[in-house]
Amino acid sequence: MNIHTSTPDSSDTPRRIPFAQLRDLLLPSFRRHRLQVLGGLTALILVDFLQLIIPRVIKRGVDALESLTVTPSDLLRLAGIIIFIAVFVVLLRFIWRYMIIGFSRLLEQAVRNRIFSHILKMDAPFFEKRTAGDLMAHSSNDLAAVQMACGMGLVAAVDALVMSLAAIGFMIAIHPLLTLLALLPMPFLAVATRVLSAKLHRRFATVQEEFSELTEFSRSNLISIGLIKAYTMENFQTERFDRIGKKYVRSNLRVAVIQGLVTPLATLVGSAGMLVVLYFGGRLVIETTITLGDFVAFITYLYMLIWPMMAIGWVANLVQRGLTSLDRIHGLVTTEAMLPDPVPEKELEKLVQPGYRLTHLTFTYPLGSGPVLRDLSLNLGPGIHGVTGRTGSGKSTLCRLLARLYPLADGMLLFGGLEVNRLPLAFIRSHIGYVGQEPVLFSDTIAANIALGRPDARREEIVEAAVNAAIHEDILAQKDGYDTLIGERGVKLSGGQRQRLALARALLCDHPVLIIDDGLSAVDVATEHEVFAGLKRHFQGKTVVIVSNRIKLLSMTDHIIILGEGAVQSEGDHDHLLATNSLYRTMFEKQMQQDSQGEVALP
Amino acid sequence: MMDYGYSEEGRQASLGDLQLWRRILRFAEPYKLGLLGAVVISLLITWATLTLPYLVQTAIDHSITASRLATAERVAGLAGNAFWYGAIIIGVFFATFCQIYILEWVGQWVMHGVRQSLFNHLLHLDLPFFNTRRTGQLVTRLTNDIQNMNEMFTSVIVTLFNEMLRLLGILVLLFWMNPRLAALMSIFVPTALLFTIFFAKLARERFRAIRSQLAKLNSFLSETLSGIAILQLFGRQETSRRTFEGLSAGYLDRTLSQIRLFGLFMPLTEFLGSAAVALILWYGGGEVLQKRLTLGELVAFISYMRLFFQPLRELAQKYSVVQSAMASAERIFQLLDTKSSIPQALVPATITNLEGRLEFRKLRFGYDPNNPVLHDISLTLRPGQTVALVGTTGSGKTTLVSLLLRFYDPQEGQILIDGRDIATLGLQELRTLVGVILQDVFILQDSLLANIVMDTGCGRQQVEEILTRTGMNRFVQKLPQGLDTLIGEGGTELSTGEKQLLSFARVLCRNPAILVLDEATAAIDSESENILEQAIADSFRGRTSLVIAHRLSTVRRADHIIVMAHGRIVEQGSHEELLERGGHYALLVAMDLQNGH
Repeated sequence: MNIHTSTPDSSDTPRRIPFAQLRDLLLPSFRRHRLQVLGGLTALILVDFLQLIIPRVIKRGVDALESLTVTPSDLLRLAGIIIFIAVFVVLLRFIWRYMIIGFSRLLEQAVRNRIFSHILKMDAPFFEKRTAGDLMAHSSNDLAAVQMACGMGLVAAVDALVMSLAAIGFMIAIHPLLTLLALLPMPFLAVATRVLSAKLHRRFATVQEEFSELTEFSRSNLISIGLIKAYTMENFQTERFDRIGKKYVRSNLRVAVIQGLVTPLATLVGSAGMLVVLYFGGRLVIETTITLGDFVAFITYLYMLIWPMMAIGWVANLVQRGLTSLDRIHGLVTTEAMLPDPVPEKELEKLVQPGYRLTHLTFTYPLGSGPVLRDLSLNLGPGIHGVTGRTGSGKSTLCRLLARLYPLADGMLLFGGLEVNRLPLAFIRSHIGYVGQEPVLFSDTIAANIALGRPDARREEIVEAAVNAAIHEDILAQKDGYDTLIGERGVKLSGGQRQRLALARALLCDHPVLIIDDGLSAVDVATEHEVFAGLKRHFQGKTVVIVSNRIKLLSMTDHIIILGEGAVQSEGDHDHLLATNSLYRTMFEKQMQQDSQGEVALP
Repeated sequence: MMDYGYSEEGRQASLGDLQLWRRILRFAEPYKLGLLGAVVISLLITWATLTLPYLVQTAIDHSITASRLATAERVAGLAGNAFWYGAIIIGVFFATFCQIYILEWVGQWVMHGVRQSLFNHLLHLDLPFFNTRRTGQLVTRLTNDIQNMNEMFTSVIVTLFNEMLRLLGILVLLFWMNPRLAALMSIFVPTALLFTIFFAKLARERFRAIRSQLAKLNSFLSETLSGIAILQLFGRQETSRRTFEGLSAGYLDRTLSQIRLFGLFMPLTEFLGSAAVALILWYGGGEVLQKRLTLGELVAFISYMRLFFQPLRELAQKYSVVQSAMASAERIFQLLDTKSSIPQALVPATITNLEGRLEFRKLRFGYDPNNPVLHDISLTLRPGQTVALVGTTGSGKTTLVSLLLRFYDPQEGQILIDGRDIATLGLQELRTLVGVILQDVFILQDSLLANIVMDTGCGRQQVEEILTRTGMNRFVQKLPQGLDTLIGEGGTELSTGEKQLLSFARVLCRNPAILVLDEATAAIDSESENILEQAIADSFRGRTSLVIAHRLSTVRRADHIIVMAHGRIVEQGSHEELLERGGHYALLVAMDLQNGH
């Protein structure tokens, strides 16, 4: 039996039972499927009792055979009873498996869906703290641990309890003193297991640490493979990996020593009980205190006890791991978003031509060390606003704040004249079209990706948006046109194509505000101009914020903001900047000159 | 354990099971003595477990029920049996311990071997390979997949072997005790076996269905997590939630169908067991009545039947472990079979008396061949010359360096060192001839000295000499324990400038003929900046050097400046010439000055 090879993780030291977590996450499922659980448990207990009857039948047969008071037809009848009981056992076992393990899967599904819908509500600061890997681990490992505890864990616990109580009961009925003697080695097993598992736990923690080290070493090497090769470190690093690997092997062997003791020890203790029964029970038969049938049945019951004894350790481990995981999941689903999402008192009316007003806006990322935007005061009303500046000047951060991805203090940002912290997120976002720096596409058809914000859009509308984003031709060039699958298992698009697709997505929504965070950087200049010029009339009356480092595009906007170190360095329209800002002027002249050779952008 | 690596499909079944086993066993070969030992112990344990019921049987027959003997004699006989019983269980205890330990020992070292060859193999694969693979997946191969295989070694092989042996042993014993009853019992063997195989087949299909659905679920989750902001901005939460719940429900259906299958199989094997006991009681009881079987033998038969069905259940249960281990093994071996796409010269040429002439000849290259990022680049560096490459991000400077290091091969054109095509040189040789100082540096969690020396065999004194010569000892002196300061995670964090200095020291230790420097773009503290300038000046002397320059001071030091834009060389000449021309270069300089460098 493979019980102690399961891997306890570092946090499963004995702990108190987290009632709040249990109530919150598990109780709804238990309540909802209570009939199923009760039915399953009833079937389980019935099976246990039926199984205990079979040795009684055998005992009767053996006793009858010994006293030679039996006929072949009696034997046939006894055999028939065994078969009859066995059929029932099959049926009931199927029932409990389907009901209880099935229940654990239902519960798993409920918790999984709960985690997912909670994640969907979380804001950007949350995803900065929790990595994707961490969240994935919650929905795979932790969930599996909870499912195991509520499925097999529950079964094993009830089964072990019923079986051991019943078996001990029957044994006492046969001979109390012999029962006591047979069970004498059991406490020893309990103590030894406890001592050993504490040791095992510590050694296992070391193994886990070293496993992480091994993982981290592999990861860091593979992720910087270019550096490894550039410095010809391949063989050197393989040697270092060898050292870590050997250390890991040795720690594993230290665990193996304990594991190698635990399993045979359980067998030894079980067999010791058997030894006691053989000697003392045998004597009792010789002294005719008990019958031979009693003796055989006694042995059978003792066999039945071995499994519950071993199961106890396993169950305890499962439950502990389940509780630890439950705690982690609970921590996840009770994390509140930092971004306020108020419920409006009355239905809000859609804003007409909304704009932004920034008043002394200063912003620091939740995990950042210093402010990224400093004391920004801007009025971004209807019209096209170009934003430019060096890397790290805060352009993208500005876009993210306008899109309401990060929380801000009251009074810093007004949207359509209203304080953003008083507005529901869905309301604000229903006014915004957004094209990010790194276009995010999903594994779906091209059409579905464009229609992300409006799943009900007609094909003509999708095509129109694609035409406006100058991606239509590229789409038609794909094998299945608009129905081509993209993403992990589909075709790969170039950076420029992805960006234009993301633009088409935003255009299809036709919201009064459009934010383009350097979303055309990978599109070649000619196409960019074509798209932009074509869209200018489309943008009539809308608030457009476009981040770009290309002067020519900026020159076509109504209002240009040059950011530097998180603050506004210069602002004004093209002519104004041309007249007042020397850098802007130089860049503009050069770019006009170099039209044919491509252009220079701000590094 | 971080096991979200199973967001993958099941097996692709391109390597046959037999072939997989052969390859696994090849890794196990050095440990055949250990394995042999485990087999011997297995035999002993099997013999012992089968002897125990026999001891109970003889105790019943010869002592307990031997009513014609004197009570004292019966008790003495019983004590004898009990003594042997006790001795055997203690023996089994030690034997089992040894077996578990030996197998773990073999398994762990075999896996260590596999891990080492896989790691070494991976590090020698080419960069295009890494561009198409996700790092996480490769790490999973190295860690979780190998762990999975180990599971097979330590638990499955033992179980398979032990249980098979036990089955055989029980059959032999039964025949020895009573051939007729045993023959009757053996009809259960093919029944149970067929039943198990049939079940295992069905279970495999369900198991696969579950895994592929889980993969879908996980990749949807992962995609959602990476695009969460966009989903929220476009108000797609509800749709995503519905899709996820659909996938989740599909997963539930599949697991439930597996539960139904197991729910049927598990009780049915139990039923076979009970049926066998019923048969023994009826038929064997008849035999006892006809004095062809003793009562003790009947009891022993019943006990053995219990033992008999246990292996079958174990085997069926281990099946899923075997499946997942085989899938892991397959993925590992497939990776080991992947060849590098950068062709290596069979007989690598070596260059002696290197002059250091470097020539790029009509290079054309694109990561995607249809979309070139370098067009017709031709450039010659005379021995000892310093050439600066300038241009905006994306102009192709870094790509040029990648080609020089043969991370990729150009689609057209050649790179020559002293007139020899670099493709004819060994990769290691090439990368030793060309020393690179990149913006980023791979830091070992070790002392600064170990980080500088690595595997060059440089002595401490030599390192100190180099550092003093280049003025970099000032940087070392700033650190708390000098050269012995631990750096990297858990140690002292280095700044961008310090990292670049480390990179410098590392390369100088190797004394390459050609030096490539990718200057840090990020701001560097002025102290490091000063040290760096001296180091650059010192190390460029007498070496052919190619610098991707971001600092005016560095550019001015160069003999020749190449301006790149959109994968082409658009201007070249000296600093003064280029400034005068008032083209790309002049603008780049103007912008740099504007931003205060």
